[in-house]
Amino acid sequence: MTPGTTQGMIQDSMMTETDPQAAKSPEVALAVRNLNFYYGENHALHDISVDFPARRVTAMIGPSGCGKSTLLRIFNRMYDLYPGQRATGEVIFDGRNILEHDLDLNILRARVGMVFQKPTPFPMSIYDNIAFGVRLHEKMNKADMDARVQDVLTRVALWNEVRDRLNAPASGLSGGQQQRLCIARSIATRPEVLLLDEPTSALDPISTARIEELLDELKEEFTIAIVTHNMQQAARCADQVAFFYMGRLIEVDSADRMFTNPKQQQTQDYITGRFG
Amino acid sequence: MSETVVSPTGWKPNPRAARRRRADHIATAFGMVMAGILVLVLASILWTLLSRGLSGLSAAAIMKPMGPPGSSSGLANAIVGSLIQTFLALLMATPLGLGCGIYLSEYGADTNRFASCVRFVSDVLMSVPSILVGLFVYQVMVAPFGHFSALAGSVALAILAVPIIVRTTEDMLRLVPTSMREAGAALGATRWRVTLSLCLRSAKTGVLTGILLALARVSGETAPLLFTSLGNQNWSFSLNRPMASLPVTIYQYAGASYEDWVQLAWAGALLVTMGVLAINIAVRVSARRG
Repeated sequence: MTPGTTQGMIQDSMMTETDPQAAKSPEVALAVRNLNFYYGENHALHDISVDFPARRVTAMIGPSGCGKSTLLRIFNRMYDLYPGQRATGEVIFDGRNILEHDLDLNILRARVGMVFQKPTPFPMSIYDNIAFGVRLHEKMNKADMDARVQDVLTRVALWNEVRDRLNAPASGLSGGQQQRLCIARSIATRPEVLLLDEPTSALDPISTARIEELLDELKEEFTIAIVTHNMQQAARCADQVAFFYMGRLIEVDSADRMFTNPKQQQTQDYITGRFG
Repeated sequence: MSETVVSPTGWKPNPRAARRRRADHIATAFGMVMAGILVLVLASILWTLLSRGLSGLSAAAIMKPMGPPGSSSGLANAIVGSLIQTFLALLMATPLGLGCGIYLSEYGADTNRFASCVRFVSDVLMSVPSILVGLFVYQVMVAPFGHFSALAGSVALAILAVPIIVRTTEDMLRLVPTSMREAGAALGATRWRVTLSLCLRSAKTGVLTGILLALARVSGETAPLLFTSLGNQNWSFSLNRPMASLPVTIYQYAGASYEDWVQLAWAGALLVTMGVLAINIAVRVSARRG
């Protein structure tokens, strides 16, 4: 990754930076504009504006409760499951504000996949874990489904480990394997955006490394937004890093500049471990 | 240079610790004695049942229908009648209980007035005396038609089974982690799809256990059948007529002055107990599998 390629895609909502190239951002997958979010009375996100460049990894960092997971869960309208949670502002995805009330959530979630902190294998076989999501959106014959299952399992580097026990319950896999299965399950519906909410925080270092490698391959095809508590992980995987603090976006920049030369004192303090 | 820590009290015996230890011994002994009494009561029930029931439990008792005293009759029609009525009751109670439990768990948030109401009614129904349920069904399904019926008996049993299934279904579904529901929704699954394919599937062992527990509960019920299916000396497979059942037969025969009827009552009691025991074992096996 060269700084030059990401430079143009970076926008700063705080307007501390006036990057002349920002105007001609090539491709933006998700454009967040003046986003506010409320858990009932609690104002959790304040006026967030940020772009997520297409086919890049954007890491969201910040101390617990800063709103980074909240933002992630807006992108697939996960908050709709819970009454009393609401968002105002705009999140433009493929020309539409996904916060609109009449948006078909099932279509949105097919296009914006999500992987959670804890692996959540469904109570069914490894094969069916993947077929479940595909069947929701596509009708296909057994041969095509077999091919799809093999394809996604290969891409998450799980195929060789499970090819002989596709019909075994997914709960029998190790934690790292389960998480890779969940990623496979998410990409099997062919989304354009992949949201990852601390996907490695419950995993051992080896499984973590494998998933990080995986992200590098997946970003050729998907726009990835990842929430992480792990600064090294953000530095290793991300092209762009956004730092949140107390519901506000403090700074967003390329990973290189963010970790070497942050503009805001708070960012500096956080990434050097002075708080958080 | 390191110094060994010296406690001010050292190894001196501590009277407070001794007192606490004594209290601990007493509490443990109390618990063991109580548990022993419970086991003793249960064992003596089983012993009585076995010693009195086994002698009456012959091939004739199981194969032959009920008959007048001294005619070497059996319990066959009562056994079959019990099976028909409890099975029918379960057939009615299961969809109702499942549906209600699913509603309460998945759609009935604690803030939902209607759901709280349903939950409360269901819990009250669970503790309503079963004879009251019998009286109610008598008023609704027997008195208006002028005759007792097996169907009325089944309905009475179903009413007793429903709240048990509702409660266990709701409890088991609530044990399914939110992350499972979110993961399903994140793939674009609709709510009912998540509920049926993911939540109910994860909870199926527990839900099945609830249904079996309900079966065990109603299979020994006598009071709700007294004014509904009444009992029948003869074979009858019509749901529209009175039908014999084991608990009612036990009730009728146990107090009779004929030796062979009393004998059959004990045999019937043993059969019901063994049935309930078998169901409980099935519950344990299914729970372990899950």
